[in-house]
Amino acid sequence: MPDIIYSAFAAPLRETFFQKALIGGSIAAIVCSVVGCLVILRRMAFLGDALSHAMIAGVAGGYLFMKILFNTEAHAPAMLIGSLIAALVTVASIGFVSRVSRVKDDTAIGIMYTGVFAGGVVLVSVFRGYIHIDLMHFIMGDVLGVADSDLWVAAISAGIVLSIIILFFRQFQLTSFDPVMAASIGLPVALIDYALTTCVSLVVVSAVSMVGVILVVGLLITPAASAYLLSDRLDRMMILAAIFGVTSVIGGLYLSMWLDSSGGGAIMLFCSLQFIVILVIAPNYGMLARWMRLRNSLPQQLVEDVLVESSRFGKTVDLNQLQRKISHSKAAFTKALKGMSRNGLLEINDNKLTLTEAGSVEANRILRAHRLWEAYISHVGAASGSEVHHRAHELEHVNDVESVDYLDDLLGHPIYDPHGAVIPASDSHCSTGGECSLSYLREGMSAEIIDLPAEGSDSRLNKGTKVTIGPRRENQTEWIIFLQDGSKVALDHETADAVKVRITSISS
Amino acid sequence: MTTEPAKIPAIEVENLTVSFGPRPALLNVSVTIDQGLLVGIIGPNGAGKSTLVKAILGFVKPDLGTVRLLGSSLDDAKGRLAYVPQRGAVDWDYPITVYEVAMMGRYPNIAWWKDPGRQDHEIVNQALEMVRMSDFKNRQIGGLSGGQQQRVFMARALAQGSDILLLDEPFAGVDAATERAILDVLERARATGRTLVVVHHDLATAAEYFDRLMLIKQRLFAYGTPRQVLNQDLLSEVYEGKLKVFSGMGKAEECHA
Repeated sequence: MPDIIYSAFAAPLRETFFQKALIGGSIAAIVCSVVGCLVILRRMAFLGDALSHAMIAGVAGGYLFMKILFNTEAHAPAMLIGSLIAALVTVASIGFVSRVSRVKDDTAIGIMYTGVFAGGVVLVSVFRGYIHIDLMHFIMGDVLGVADSDLWVAAISAGIVLSIIILFFRQFQLTSFDPVMAASIGLPVALIDYALTTCVSLVVVSAVSMVGVILVVGLLITPAASAYLLSDRLDRMMILAAIFGVTSVIGGLYLSMWLDSSGGGAIMLFCSLQFIVILVIAPNYGMLARWMRLRNSLPQQLVEDVLVESSRFGKTVDLNQLQRKISHSKAAFTKALKGMSRNGLLEINDNKLTLTEAGSVEANRILRAHRLWEAYISHVGAASGSEVHHRAHELEHVNDVESVDYLDDLLGHPIYDPHGAVIPASDSHCSTGGECSLSYLREGMSAEIIDLPAEGSDSRLNKGTKVTIGPRRENQTEWIIFLQDGSKVALDHETADAVKVRITSISS
Repeated sequence: MTTEPAKIPAIEVENLTVSFGPRPALLNVSVTIDQGLLVGIIGPNGAGKSTLVKAILGFVKPDLGTVRLLGSSLDDAKGRLAYVPQRGAVDWDYPITVYEVAMMGRYPNIAWWKDPGRQDHEIVNQALEMVRMSDFKNRQIGGLSGGQQQRVFMARALAQGSDILLLDEPFAGVDAATERAILDVLERARATGRTLVVVHHDLATAAEYFDRLMLIKQRLFAYGTPRQVLNQDLLSEVYEGKLKVFSGMGKAEECHA
């Protein structure tokens, strides 16, 4: 048994090619992932893909340049510089095309990078006598055949890029988060953008020899996206992304040894699987968490039914009795009750449910909506008989203050619904100290007038006049109010709306 | 507030013309905004409200004309002006906390090789306190309500320590209670002597919220107290009769005055 473990895990470590792959791959992965964080936040993933493809033209160009002028084969620094130039030319031409025409950014990227890539391919094949580049190697990469020069290129570009990102972290953060503010405080936004593009080009160049043109964009964005699902801060996202990059390389390399597969392919496969696992289990932004949240959220309709039914029974009600009234499964019902008691809407003692103060207010609000909807449905003749109640039962869940107030006003602030039941007064308006139109007030409430129309109202009413509300007359269309001297004033709907009061007492 | 520095206007715009083609977005706009005022910019869609904001920020190069902030040219006045973006302009999924956003207000004052100092942390904490967002410091910004999000960005603007705050539609898409809370913060900021310029779309509340209004549609139609600006003739000229609701505005205005 230990033999198997040894040959699976430790034996590859003794191989030089594996060590180089591990070191080179990890360096490339760390720096790719860190830069990748900025890339995905700037939504530049496609651009990353474009840059990696455009490189081939630069590599071929650099190769030819040194070969023809100095007769040196495969001069690494020249190819690196060539790639950078190709990348920057691509970026500049993308910006140019989208600026001078109606062609949008993503289309411009697609056009320019395939053009530059094709140019590179043609260059390589035309000069195949001079250029000894294996196109397949370039496209697929060869992490298990990493040369020392590749390691040096990776290490140096990683060092440069990481230093730039760490030193100018705040500038990168601000420009990617809010470019307008960045510009308004005088940051050179365009320069920072070019710095980021250069960094992307550098890391892509250093990683291409290992994972190849096609997969490098995955190394750039996948670990970063995994980290994105787990972090609420950019610095932590970068650290996590770097860790995920390294685990992808380690996991992928072992995978490739065991399966005897392509190294680059195995790394990206591992990286993608890692992303999928995180997508499922991430504590806040993962699928499981989302599913749990949905499961734990209380169905609003059931909550409102419980509130209204309990208040119809008079605040305290036997649970079994209540459940018979509510057409939901026992499990949903029990869950709703638990959630509601957690939210402080009700208390449960010995199988009896008592609404709290907050619960009663909420119940009143929904009951008010229900009965106003009933009145409205009868008023417009949309339904009749028992249908009225059913339609209102559906519509009571439309109960935002504004809509309910609108119905209330439209119907002339009725006190009774069509079945003769009392429509609760509006708690949002009728609280002691609250200010509202007099028309919202109910019999027995006292208030002080704070504003009234300049003309048309009774001369006994003035700012500061203290009034007590009397009964509604004339089929609920006439408001009777009593002044302090006991005299009585009658107001119509329009005037009652126009008189604003501050409520001094709501006890009737 | 001492009266002496108040004599220098917060914002001076002189003969500003900005164009993106044959039709100018702004034409010959001149306005002088005094310090310590809460000013609303109103006008129909496409009237050049945001172009004016961009010109004051220095993002668009005017064809003609100048903008001066507190007596200095735009280049010299960098940092004396803070900008609060529209809510729609921000990526709310960005991995950043409330505290970090507010700290961004200090970035202009932190040298690039240094970390934020103790004073910076103090200022940020005060700013969060002022907009009543201290309890949400470590929350990622996406989880906040619309009004809270707006307040975080106001905290950032306050932390910048700027004398002039420029807000782009802070009241867009928030409910009435949130609108009050935001207005409350604006008024508190004004009480510290700052000048606030707010792009606003709701004529109905404009009179109530602002000390001065600026009515623009390509040209500056009026700048003055709400009573001067919100008159029927002017509004129907600018909104070309697309405005029916304001027959009652005159009355409301008389009460206000």
